[in-house]
Amino acid sequence: MSGPVYAVKNLVIDLYTPTVSVRAVDGVSFEVNSGETLAIVGESGSGKTVMTLGPLGLMPEGVTIDLNGSVTAAGQDLVTMSPKKLSKLRGGQFGVIFQDPMSALNPMLKIGPQLAEQARRFAGLSAKAARKEAVSLLARTGIPDPEDRYDRYPHELSGGMLQRAMIALALAARPRVLIADEPTTALDATVQAQILALLRQIQEEDGIAVVLITHDIGAVSVLADRVIVLYAGRIAEEGSAIDVLTAPVHPYTRGLLASVPDFRSDTATGTREIPGLPPDQTRLLPGCRFADRCAQAITSCRRKRPEVTRVGGAAVPHRAACPVVIAVEGVARHA
Amino acid sequence: MTSSPCSSIRGFAAPGGSDIQFSKLPWLVLTPALVFVFVGVFAPFLMTHDPAAQDYTAILKSPSLSHWLGTDYLGRDLWSRIVGGARTSLVAMAFVLVAALVIGVVIGSIAGYVGGLVETILISLIDIALALPSLVIALALMGVFLGENFDWLSDYWKMVLALTLAWWANYARMSRAVVIAELQQPYIEAARVMGASHLWVFARHILPHVLGLVVVYASADAGALVLAIATLSFLGLGVAPPTPEWGQMLVDGMSYIEEYPSLVVIPGLALTAVVVSFNLLGEAFALQKVPRVLKGRLLRRKRAARKEEDLARTKAESQA
Amino acid sequence: MPEAALTENPASDPTATAAAIDVEDLKVHFRTSAGRVRAVDGVDLNVKIGAFHGIVGESGCGKTTLARAIVGLQSATAGRVRILGRDRAEWQSQDRKGFARAVQFIFQDPLGSMSRRQSVQQTMEEPLRIHGMGNARERRRKVEELLELVALPASVLDRLPRSLSGGQRQRVSIARALALDPEVLVCDEPLSALDVSVRAQIVNLFARLQAQLDLTIVIVAHDLAIVREVCSAVTVMYLGRVAEEGVARPLFADPAHPYSQALLFAVPSPDPRVEATRSRVLLEGDPPSPLNPPAGCRFSTRCPVAVGECRASEPTLRGVRHGGRAACLLADRTRHPVL
Repeated sequence: MSGPVYAVKNLVIDLYTPTVSVRAVDGVSFEVNSGETLAIVGESGSGKTVMTLGPLGLMPEGVTIDLNGSVTAAGQDLVTMSPKKLSKLRGGQFGVIFQDPMSALNPMLKIGPQLAEQARRFAGLSAKAARKEAVSLLARTGIPDPEDRYDRYPHELSGGMLQRAMIALALAARPRVLIADEPTTALDATVQAQILALLRQIQEEDGIAVVLITHDIGAVSVLADRVIVLYAGRIAEEGSAIDVLTAPVHPYTRGLLASVPDFRSDTATGTREIPGLPPDQTRLLPGCRFADRCAQAITSCRRKRPEVTRVGGAAVPHRAACPVVIAVEGVARHA
Repeated sequence: MTSSPCSSIRGFAAPGGSDIQFSKLPWLVLTPALVFVFVGVFAPFLMTHDPAAQDYTAILKSPSLSHWLGTDYLGRDLWSRIVGGARTSLVAMAFVLVAALVIGVVIGSIAGYVGGLVETILISLIDIALALPSLVIALALMGVFLGENFDWLSDYWKMVLALTLAWWANYARMSRAVVIAELQQPYIEAARVMGASHLWVFARHILPHVLGLVVVYASADAGALVLAIATLSFLGLGVAPPTPEWGQMLVDGMSYIEEYPSLVVIPGLALTAVVVSFNLLGEAFALQKVPRVLKGRLLRRKRAARKEEDLARTKAESQA
Repeated sequence: MPEAALTENPASDPTATAAAIDVEDLKVHFRTSAGRVRAVDGVDLNVKIGAFHGIVGESGCGKTTLARAIVGLQSATAGRVRILGRDRAEWQSQDRKGFARAVQFIFQDPLGSMSRRQSVQQTMEEPLRIHGMGNARERRRKVEELLELVALPASVLDRLPRSLSGGQRQRVSIARALALDPEVLVCDEPLSALDVSVRAQIVNLFARLQAQLDLTIVIVAHDLAIVREVCSAVTVMYLGRVAEEGVARPLFADPAHPYSQALLFAVPSPDPRVEATRSRVLLEGDPPSPLNPPAGCRFSTRCPVAVGECRASEPTLRGVRHGGRAACLLADRTRHPVL
């Protein structure tokens, strides 16, 4: 399959609550292609979750959300779609994995039937086939003794097993895009490694697109083909995982990576930090959002919005939103 | 940036506990309750006549300049009796509320903080007191108090005592719940780690939460109490004549309901307005805990402001 | 040791032991409806004065319970804890406030550990008020000093904790813990609620404070890279027991216990080129429940190199190559092939 399965263009998302108006996403464009794993990296407040789940209508109650721009999936524009249609499209096209499995699984129902129901509704299987599918999904996600687990309630499973059951649930509708929102954050190191390996295996076997929303650089390094680094609702840098993680251009990406020590290397000279705090997103100010924390910032950084510009000639476009570094370090512009 | 949108997604729930924003209450519907309190407090200045003074030359008069709401069958000024009745109810209500609140908070807090056997015993006590409607308990207690052993108490204080004993349990139950909930908060442990004594923890951290909730509940509960006082007096068990009281006025007016309905309608309306108003206060407090969605004019205004800001930024950036 | 022999500051007393914290065969069990949870089940821990000691392990390994038991937030089922040469339980029951002035605790969730009704100023002043220290002006001055120490602007003082960012909240909670000038600071996962770049800020703050104030810090953490970066000593726990302990860098460079090896191995490298060349999963399944730990070596059910002997008896800590100790019969003898 070719072409993007999910394309976002000039997306702007404003959130309104009775107390604050926040520009959560501030003009972002990206595409997700089938067969690739795209990691969206950012810290809390960067807009990574809102940007990915907002257009799908997955937003909390009590928030008014305004979308501007275009979001395309399966040839249809999600921004103008009715909630009912959106819900149907979402069920068939997108599978979502959350940080907390209990937010996806119904604690009152047995696990197997929940999976079978998804398979019946969205993948159009018969009741019998759906049951078979559910059992095989449990087996595929590495749950031992799936026939037995089919009839278990969520509370009877351990944390790692629940995570797997939720992944199975997300796959039951045979989605084209699997969105994983901080799938490993709450897990222990050894279980984290298992879940990351499972996601990778699923992605390779099914050739579906995986969108990984995370702040964990390690998870990105394990899974991602391509990375988007988000800062304060804007793309700071994007490119192949190798380019972005090993040859970062944007000062924010560099700072972020420097604050993650790698204990395998012996060159570590203490953990470096990014000074200061993320900007106030309730106000729209001109210029680069990172300028206040950036050692390389010059006057023009606070005046003009930095364009996301291609650097280098890598096959997977490497882009960064920092004209200063590009100019100073002579990072070759793509012809 | 203080509350980030991402973390807020999971955390947009209403603030927990008793954090209530008084600025957002629908003040209009609360007018009767406020008027009631005002009238009760300033009754002596608002009464045009002695509410107990009988004037046989002016029996059952229609409203006039000297008797704004007319007079009753003993020639007493109806306006002054309504005002005086407000005062009687307000004072009795205040006595009962304060006493019930103090007893309830003390018992509930001990149960919640101490735990163990003490809690079990106190909970049983609370459960017994909550087993029947408060008014039924108050009526039963009045029955007991009317016996000879209690002759040293005036009828008024018997009513206050009966209502207090019927009313405290709700506050005790609530206080205990708040104490238990707060005790589970990590900040209590934090205070203990800092060396705080139990007394410090209770007085500085837990009591404010308990009082915050209980006082709010009490203000909403006031309507039920006004009604209970009127009910007891209506049944001849509460405030004795000639003290003006709305329940009494209803009884007095009953005999003349055909010819002079205003004798029943006016105290009835006063009572209804006050009770409904206090109940709405309770509703308003309850609604505070439901997360609010921004809509209507405020949302349009915020959207417009955002658009303007966006344009200003675009302009500034294009000039740079 | 007789109580009278102790001075105000055992750290400067040559007769006092050099251990800031000495935990001996500590057991903390919880009774639940499902049975007896052996959260901490026979732990020895020795933290030297002036150490920056990390405790790592997966959830359910008992690291948080151990930290809480050290400061008395959790009562011990058996065994004992000595802090600065004094018995913790005795000290705390005789002189709660004195103990609090010597030992402070930092919670995982800074927001939860502060009253939602108190401003930052009130929050930071509270320990001083509890201990009746100073008048309003002196307290105010102390608060300003503390703000400077943790690099917070004075503008936060009038705000409520929930209006601060995660990093600022943790700074406030650190400042509050330092208000009493403690000698020992025990921190329960102080970094896990924070964003990556903020985490680095707070780690650096801990390191600076430790040097500046001669603190002994015990930090419970799950971020191994950070522990290696800042800690002088480290204890690895598994299912309520100590699996391995030693000086941080040598231990991380050459872990002797198969569990430590697996734990370190599971941490992904931030370099995708490294990741592409290594297999990732060494351990299958979740850690067993502390309700009913396996017989013999507790790790034997998941251990990739376990032999029959491992299931027969529980190994004790013994000296290993990196200079620390490990509780494994096969320590230093066997290494999993992928390591």
